[in-house]
Amino acid sequence: MSADGQPLEALQGWMMNALVFPGMTPRDEVEQVVAHSARLNGDECLAIYQRSYYLRILKCMREQFPALCHALGEELFTDFAREYLRAHPPESYTLYDLGRRFPGYLAETRPDRDAAAAHRESWIDFMIDLATFERQVFVMFDAPGHEGKPFAGAGVADNQLRLQPCFALGAYQFPVAWYYHEVRKGNDPQFPPHETSFVALVRKDYLTRTLLLSQSHYIFLTALAESGSVEHAISAVARQLAVPPDDVRQSWWAQDGIRQRWIKAGFFICAGSGQASVSGC
Amino acid sequence: MADAHRGIETTDPPKLGLGLGLRNVHFDHILSEWPKVDWFEAISENFMDSGGRPRHVIRQVAERYPVVLHGVSLSIGSSDPLNFSYLGKLKVLAEEVKPVWISDHLCWTGVLGMNSHDLLPLPLTEETLKHVIERVRVVQDFLERPLIVENPSSYLTFAQSTITEPDFLRRLSDETGCGLLLDVNNVYVSCFNAGTDPAAYIEAFACERVAQMHLAGHQHCGTHIIDTHDQPVRADVWELYRLAWRQTNGAATLLEWDGNIPSFAECHAEVLKAKRYMHGRFDPGRVTMPAGEGPEAVSNPVDFLVPAVMGSTVLEEA
Repeated sequence: MSADGQPLEALQGWMMNALVFPGMTPRDEVEQVVAHSARLNGDECLAIYQRSYYLRILKCMREQFPALCHALGEELFTDFAREYLRAHPPESYTLYDLGRRFPGYLAETRPDRDAAAAHRESWIDFMIDLATFERQVFVMFDAPGHEGKPFAGAGVADNQLRLQPCFALGAYQFPVAWYYHEVRKGNDPQFPPHETSFVALVRKDYLTRTLLLSQSHYIFLTALAESGSVEHAISAVARQLAVPPDDVRQSWWAQDGIRQRWIKAGFFICAGSGQASVSGC
Repeated sequence: MADAHRGIETTDPPKLGLGLGLRNVHFDHILSEWPKVDWFEAISENFMDSGGRPRHVIRQVAERYPVVLHGVSLSIGSSDPLNFSYLGKLKVLAEEVKPVWISDHLCWTGVLGMNSHDLLPLPLTEETLKHVIERVRVVQDFLERPLIVENPSSYLTFAQSTITEPDFLRRLSDETGCGLLLDVNNVYVSCFNAGTDPAAYIEAFACERVAQMHLAGHQHCGTHIIDTHDQPVRADVWELYRLAWRQTNGAATLLEWDGNIPSFAECHAEVLKAKRYMHGRFDPGRVTMPAGEGPEAVSNPVDFLVPAVMGSTVLEEA
């Protein structure tokens, strides 16, 4: 204890606790620590910080999950987000981290989490799916990418194709990408019925593209992401869907087939580094 | 030795003129128009982790304009250890964009591993001063440049405080060689809330150490004023700026507009109003503390740091 009062560490711990859990700090305790201002008592001064703490970060949460906020309505979304932030106060200096644990929190705290899958509330599944998708879209915005370097062109051999760094795959129980982009267009979509959806997110020229995938495309790209090998990816599709590998290969190489379309969309760079030119690898 | 950094920029900082905050919503305008603004201030945390467009933008801006880096998360007053991962990223960014200087606030943002994303007030005591002096020295040694430290806006003072904020910052600067950022709006806001005289605050401030000034709008809530950065600069703050301009011998001046951000042209026009206050006698009678009214708003808004990601997405057929 210093001569001035309680040590800095204790004082800051006290105030941080008062921000995260407003209403839990006895008023007489506040009045001992916080001086009266010209017009307010210590409790009222502290309350300015307490109110702003949640308003400030809740606004950031709404901006990081605009489609989920639309789906739930601002009031209900804010209730969920407030409980999340109370359970998981921000830890990072960067606001980009604020929503990182939100999808997981929603899954862990769902009221029907112990029920069998068939008896769970469908709209909660949708909410968790949508939060997961939105978090991924948000991360893509500022993740390390490949802008300024050459992407793979059509002439690149399969064994030189690698997925670019700003690329993500997702499998969902609901058509969350469709829902997200309906909200983006200013529409008011209904909660969609259960429908498995597969999505690729890829950023090129600082624009994040959402591509809806078939199951076979998803299997292919997942295997490619894991192995780095187109041949492994073809084998994975053939094995999992019980189709001849040559059929998969034909689909891959077809005129206007997925190889050509994905190269055009910026899925691929050349093996080794991003430095090789399109024609050189 | 921290004092080795003294005198690089802090004793005779460049007079950068009238600048604006580099904000996401203005990126397209800046890159297409290259407006005639004197300089930009970038929020360090908005760019230091960026692998996307913000980093791309600041590199281009830094090639054409003087840029300074202004942080909101250094947490120089926290009792938690300094975050050297953060400092490392800040240093890398600084090596890239070569800022004229790097600034942050006399505050703490979190403790016990938590981050409030607010600029929280410190008890201004001898213990705190010693603590902050030590940390500023470490930061300056790490960054290999002097730090510029800003007076925050505050809504409370601690009963244990024994040092005035101008004295605290003067002694901090004396001991570490750090420069100072005088936020004129923060002076007005904090002084109104504390019931003290803003002109006397500036008279007591180590204005000879001021590298930069801030201007911003605020929200009067009747019993207190909130530093909102969401509207034009108030007339009383402009009057106070007249004194600050004279006392700092024309320090670099920057307008912060972080909420309800208008067009770039409107922001620029607002900061150019500063020219009207660079001459003429300061009359303390024109800095009033009127009773105000209005709804409470969020202090130190940070949502402008969250990019509108949805607008940078498109749905395509695979």
